[in-house]
Amino acid sequence: MNQAKNPNSLFMPRTYLTTESNKTGSWRFLCPRYDEKTSPCSATCPAGEDIARIEMLTTQGLFKEAWETILRENPFPSVCGRVCFHPCEGQCNRREFDTAVAIHSLERFLADTAIRYGIKPDVEKRSSQKQKIAVIGAGPAGLSAAWFLSMLGYNCHVFEASTEAGGVLRWGIPLYRLPLNALRHDIHQIETRGITIYTGKPVSPDVLEIMKKDYDAIFIGCGHRRGMSMNVPGEDLKEVSEGLDLLRKLREGEMPSCPGVSAIIGGGNTAIDVSRSVVRLGGKALLLYRRRRQDMPALELEVEMALEEGVELQELVAPAAVTREGDQVVLTLQEMKIAGEEGGRGRVVPDEGKTRKVRIDRIFKAIGAQADEPWYQPPAGASGLLRLSHTVLVRGNLGPVMIFGGDLTNETKSVVHAVASGKQAAMALDTLFQEGLEAIVPKLETCRVGEGPSLSMEIYMGGERRLRNPHVVRYEEINTDYFGFIPRVTEPRLLKEERVQSFEEIDLKISANLAMRESERCFNCGLCNQCDNCFIFCPDTSVIRDKDHQGRHINYDYCKGCGLCVVECPRNAMSLEEEKS
Amino acid sequence: MKRVLEGSHAVAEAVRLAKVQVISAYPITPQTHIVEILSEYCTKGMLKAKFLRVESEHSCMAALIGAESTGVRAFTATSGQGLTLMHELLHWASGARLPIVMAEVNRALAPGWNIWVDQTDSLAQRDTGWIQIYCEDGQEVLDSTLQAFRLAEAVNLPVMIILDAFYLSHTYEPVDVPSQEEVDQFLPPFVPKFQLDTAHPCGFGPLVPPSDYMEMRYDIAMSMERALERFDEIDTAFAAQFNRRYGPVQAIECEDADIVFITTGTVTSTCRLVLQDLRAKGEKVGILKLRLFRPFPVEQIRERLKSAKKVAVVDRNFSFGASGIFTQEVRAALCNMSDHPTVFGFVAGIGGRDITPELLEMIYWQTKNSDVPKKESVWMGLREVKNAD
Amino acid sequence: MPTEIMDREFVYSGHVGCPGCGATIAMRFVLKALGEKTIMVLPACCWSVITGPYPLSALKIPVIHAAFETGGATASGVRAALDMQGDTDTTVLTWAGDGGTFDIGFQALSGAVERNENFLYVCYDNEAYMNTGIQRSSSTPYGAWTTTTTGQDWKKLRKKKIVEVLVAHRIPYVATASIAFPDDLLRKTLKAKETKGSKFLHIYASCPTGWRIPSEMSVKIARMAVQTNIFPLYEVEDGRRYIINYKPKEYLVREYFKLQGRFKHLTDHDLDQIQQMVNEDWELLLNKAGDRV
Repeated sequence: MNQAKNPNSLFMPRTYLTTESNKTGSWRFLCPRYDEKTSPCSATCPAGEDIARIEMLTTQGLFKEAWETILRENPFPSVCGRVCFHPCEGQCNRREFDTAVAIHSLERFLADTAIRYGIKPDVEKRSSQKQKIAVIGAGPAGLSAAWFLSMLGYNCHVFEASTEAGGVLRWGIPLYRLPLNALRHDIHQIETRGITIYTGKPVSPDVLEIMKKDYDAIFIGCGHRRGMSMNVPGEDLKEVSEGLDLLRKLREGEMPSCPGVSAIIGGGNTAIDVSRSVVRLGGKALLLYRRRRQDMPALELEVEMALEEGVELQELVAPAAVTREGDQVVLTLQEMKIAGEEGGRGRVVPDEGKTRKVRIDRIFKAIGAQADEPWYQPPAGASGLLRLSHTVLVRGNLGPVMIFGGDLTNETKSVVHAVASGKQAAMALDTLFQEGLEAIVPKLETCRVGEGPSLSMEIYMGGERRLRNPHVVRYEEINTDYFGFIPRVTEPRLLKEERVQSFEEIDLKISANLAMRESERCFNCGLCNQCDNCFIFCPDTSVIRDKDHQGRHINYDYCKGCGLCVVECPRNAMSLEEEKS
Repeated sequence: MKRVLEGSHAVAEAVRLAKVQVISAYPITPQTHIVEILSEYCTKGMLKAKFLRVESEHSCMAALIGAESTGVRAFTATSGQGLTLMHELLHWASGARLPIVMAEVNRALAPGWNIWVDQTDSLAQRDTGWIQIYCEDGQEVLDSTLQAFRLAEAVNLPVMIILDAFYLSHTYEPVDVPSQEEVDQFLPPFVPKFQLDTAHPCGFGPLVPPSDYMEMRYDIAMSMERALERFDEIDTAFAAQFNRRYGPVQAIECEDADIVFITTGTVTSTCRLVLQDLRAKGEKVGILKLRLFRPFPVEQIRERLKSAKKVAVVDRNFSFGASGIFTQEVRAALCNMSDHPTVFGFVAGIGGRDITPELLEMIYWQTKNSDVPKKESVWMGLREVKNAD
Repeated sequence: MPTEIMDREFVYSGHVGCPGCGATIAMRFVLKALGEKTIMVLPACCWSVITGPYPLSALKIPVIHAAFETGGATASGVRAALDMQGDTDTTVLTWAGDGGTFDIGFQALSGAVERNENFLYVCYDNEAYMNTGIQRSSSTPYGAWTTTTTGQDWKKLRKKKIVEVLVAHRIPYVATASIAFPDDLLRKTLKAKETKGSKFLHIYASCPTGWRIPSEMSVKIARMAVQTNIFPLYEVEDGRRYIINYKPKEYLVREYFKLQGRFKHLTDHDLDQIQQMVNEDWELLLNKAGDRV
């Protein structure tokens, strides 16, 4: 407003000031604020990855930053992007609009990009702590524990019995699902943090006693290596072996011949892995499962591909006996029938009197695994025992703290749950050292993603994520007016004829272009992606852009609390509350 | 240069010489010639102005308000129904302190349709804050229009130049039309005291609460008062350059008159003849021609009438429920004088009816022969009305 | 939309518009597009008051307040004066509500555009005389409650098709726009600015107060009006070439009506009738645009 009052000496109706002297903020009875919330995918991810933010950064082309965001919560993006069972996609709000975002493929894309360009991550690390920590078992749980402890400043030594680190990742999962260089990249990435991995160093109880003198804490993540017994006669025949052993041989570089028919007992991912490996070795795979296909715990996509590749599935059969007849093996099968539901799956009972026999050349058991040694397990009834969601901590009066994690303590045995337990162990130990045993449970509460049980290391370390509202955004809270139907990216893979020829990786890479188009489909539930709708629609010019993290602030001197900013925010990154008088 | 022009054309010449920049026009008899001539001047390039052929008189005035607010000299002409249609915006123009000049041809108001002279239309606008000047002949029309721009721009109030329908608008007379150079000396280009300007944005005419409105209105009142002085100054300057002076009133043989006619417009010319006749018969009669009506020249009127015994006001207008308007105004001007003439009001010539010398003489004798007025205004020359049944 | 246009502001905070006022959103957008060389003619409407009482102004451009019915005429005068001053850059903008456009201001608007005056006339339409307290105008839609169409006398006359009226005047550019579609609105304003002659923008501007909707729903309702074909987004060039800008989702009008208090008295039968009317109008428009052979 430039014109001065009465320069021409006429007192006439002409303005000379702006309305800025009128502070309309006093009109408000509802008050908007920027309030980033939690996306359902990140709350569901056992590792609590900040998925909405990862996809947002990917859409912006900030692949390094997106990859780093994964690493803060999960050191295995290259692995998980290939083998995770992606519960995140099952909770993706976008699935109610058109189809879930391909989070799993995007994670792999980011990891592949990091490998391709040799990116060095910049992830926070606290200053060095005095405590020394030993990790036994360089599987996903142990390596994750080491990773997170190292972020917290602890010096970690990892002891691995076999010749190379990785555990089930190295020795249990077939190459066509997890190629070696993908795994090695993640492990190497962990090592560059200053973690020393001693391979070929099995730990016996005696060695353990010695270690207890040198370390302030010991993480035990030895996993479940031993197969379970079928408890049927003939199980000890030489033609009967562990599925896991076949997989291990393959990973050691052997190509054992499997001519004829191989029967695989089981319904989990290991059973599928073994079946599909047999096919690739030129044999015929007969997969025998005691329940129905829909009850199988294996990933549905894996089952589908297995069947495409020629694996034959027989449902509702359980092994009853194994006998040899000549040079063939006869497997007597008990037929099962459905007698109700339990835990969302069919409950089966033997169909009395109905049995049949199949002639096969060998049997692979894949009905579950257990710990190899008793001392791998947390000692039941020990004093000072603290049972958390993914770990068990034992703090006796003497000696170091013992903490158990991974398949040993997890209800769901998966890679990402192993990562979660490694993270929880790191947080628990750090809290124990800094504040004491009683502080662990309340401290971990504050690090939940949403309502938990997933935990966030970024929150634990005081990052911006701690400011997020734990409310998990529901589909109804998304303003879908701002989104159009876009089909999900088609994840390219080898054709089935190509797949069975070798152990080459089945899933192919996607381009950055496709990746960004897919990540753009993400609603970024609860996060501000700087779309500026609040700024665009404010009738009172009260959303002011600035240079800070949020990118803008509300001028409460003038904001009338109309609520338009909150409603027009497509991703519920704002909240409208009663004005505090 | 002397030319024979009708009153309308005299207006147009003045507008051309004043280098008006925006003209808005809507035709209505009997002012139409004014805008037609101006349209031709614009087309021929004799006048460099934007000519807006608006779709009503109300829009005429609205367009001028817009134009003058932007800082250019603006003009229109209207009459009768057109003027009354503009009423709302006449208030607006003065409230907005815009020095708009308008020629208004006095015409009777409908119903019934009547295109002939009657002053009620312009007098009904007397409260709108416009300066009003009533003209007697073609020369006066041209001269007053030129003076109007200078006066309006001096006090930031709009000015109405008023002519009788047909008797002045359509009557051809010799008129001395000055040269452009002479007018340029008298009337410089318009320098607005305020204008819409994107370099200095502000709002004109916003909501004004009671706390400020009254002072703004007072400012208008004060400017109206100052207009009396400015009027004299401009009159003097004009006389110095063109040798013609008019004054807010013109007193004709009033010094020793017992009875003074008060007239406006062309009636004054007729009255001058009657004056000659009556004086020849020894009557002590005078005429006070009223030219400036707003602001009402109270001092001048009191001064000129101080020795008269009676005043006969000739109203070619009427305010129903009261009296002839000039009569009211003169009475009001005189009432606070300790010793003032009796004011007799006469209504004549309504709706274009002729005001003859005989009628004026009748008015004189009626005034002379009455001590007090019979009524506030006496209607002269009425016929017997026969109802149609 | 380029940031230098989207980022600049010409409306100050502290104005007295109702919370959620669609007219203020419309003003922000239009002025962003027009820039500082703009003079506004502001006939009586909500914005006459929103802009604040003397001595305050909420606008960063010069404004001349005008009598209610004079939007088109006052602008003609301003334009003529600017042209005489040799200024052909400054945009003359008349900013009027539906009252000052459809009803009392209709004559002046028609006159000005018939003369093809070089100015931009923007009608922000909140579908009633809102400034005086929600009385019906000829822009009030069929079915609406207002304070002068209450109870059983809800408005049973259809909304005047102001855009078609302007098209009949054959002016260079007429367009509809909605506050829920900012890029479209800004594009059209820029296009109008660059066009010579008379230009008319009919902007749908929600009114929470008058329509009985919560203030935070202003933009959503404006979006739904377009998505239900009640307020299609289209342009007409030179009174002939129709361009439909947005093929909507064709939601049922029911969805739009049930969200607003001013329509809550309508029965299913009424809504069915209205759906018919909207469908008819949409077909007509498609025909004009040549989308139906």
